[in-house]
Amino acid sequence: MKIAQKQNNDITIFDINGDIDINSSPDMREVFENIANAKTMKVVVNLSGVSYVDSSGLATLVEMLKKTRSYGGKLRLANLAPKVKSLFEITKLEKLFDIFDTEEEAGANF
Amino acid sequence: MENREVVIEVKDLVKSFNGRVILNGINLKVYKGETLVIMGGSGCGKSTLLRNMIGTHRPDSGSIFIKGNDITKLNESEFDKIRKIYGMVFQDAALYDSMNVEENISLVLCEHTKLDPDIISIMVKMKLELVGLRGFEKFMPSQLSGGMRRRVGIARALAMDPELVFYDEPTAGLDPIIAGVIDKLILDLSKKLQITSVVVTHDMKSVFAIADRVVMLYDGKIIAEGEMSEIKNSEDPRIKQFITGSPEGPIQFLQSGDGYLDELTK
Repeated sequence: MKIAQKQNNDITIFDINGDIDINSSPDMREVFENIANAKTMKVVVNLSGVSYVDSSGLATLVEMLKKTRSYGGKLRLANLAPKVKSLFEITKLEKLFDIFDTEEEAGANF
Repeated sequence: MENREVVIEVKDLVKSFNGRVILNGINLKVYKGETLVIMGGSGCGKSTLLRNMIGTHRPDSGSIFIKGNDITKLNESEFDKIRKIYGMVFQDAALYDSMNVEENISLVLCEHTKLDPDIISIMVKMKLELVGLRGFEKFMPSQLSGGMRRRVGIARALAMDPELVFYDEPTAGLDPIIAGVIDKLILDLSKKLQITSVVVTHDMKSVFAIADRVVMLYDGKIIAEGEMSEIKNSEDPRIKQFITGSPEGPIQFLQSGDGYLDELTK
């Protein structure tokens, strides 16, 4: 799994590529911790390059959402592949996250 | 069926205890995404077959391939990698009585991963939601009913997101309604999470509820294999007897009296 970070005005965008599983989710958590420590207000996680997220990956995203909410920040998800989207549905997390079809939509009206 | 991916293949499996042959040349395939039920009477060898499939028993001869790896020939560290592919639900849930529900489920994650305790705690909540027991994290096993303990056992088996789950008599000893709840849960999880399931049971109601395919073991051999409808309509008197639960028929559960007096006095 690889994570690329970019900035679009005041929005921090992460492009994630590869499976998010028990081996890779701790790396994602480390990157997210830096963002939370800096109290970044607007975060988009683009999952277009992700074909599988296991429950450790889902839990890491949930933790990140909790942290951003704790200081009034916002976390949005974009570009979920159908299989990944169905994992969010099975675990009922689709109701917890703001999920958008594209990165542009996620970045609009933050 | 032949085009589907084979997750488990058992070839010419033989296992005996104290000179008594329990499994006598078992050949079996389990396909990705299906729920295969292994049924048969007490002592037919179905639990022994399961224990061989999960690697807790080694066969006398034959092979067991899980995702292409012959587990009968793997060393401990090689087997540990395969072990992460599957979860196991034991007959009596086999929870640690001294640990609460959360600790029981998280144990495998704490031992086999480097995940942070906060992440594991969220994962446990997600697993408990899947089995309908969210909010029971701090309960001790002794504070739960038999059906709830089974559900915790299932949540624990799902902790590592397995592709494959083995169930040993998941409804044994439960009342019919709770047994139905467990059957529905197995069915739901298999379909939702696309898990391949191997279920050992003698509970015919459970077989009818969850099986995509069934194999019937008798006297250490597979005497029938097929889709549920084929088993239901089988003309084999042994299968008919098992389905109807009749004590009369070709399957004998009591040893004959021949030789009893000789054995006492020899």
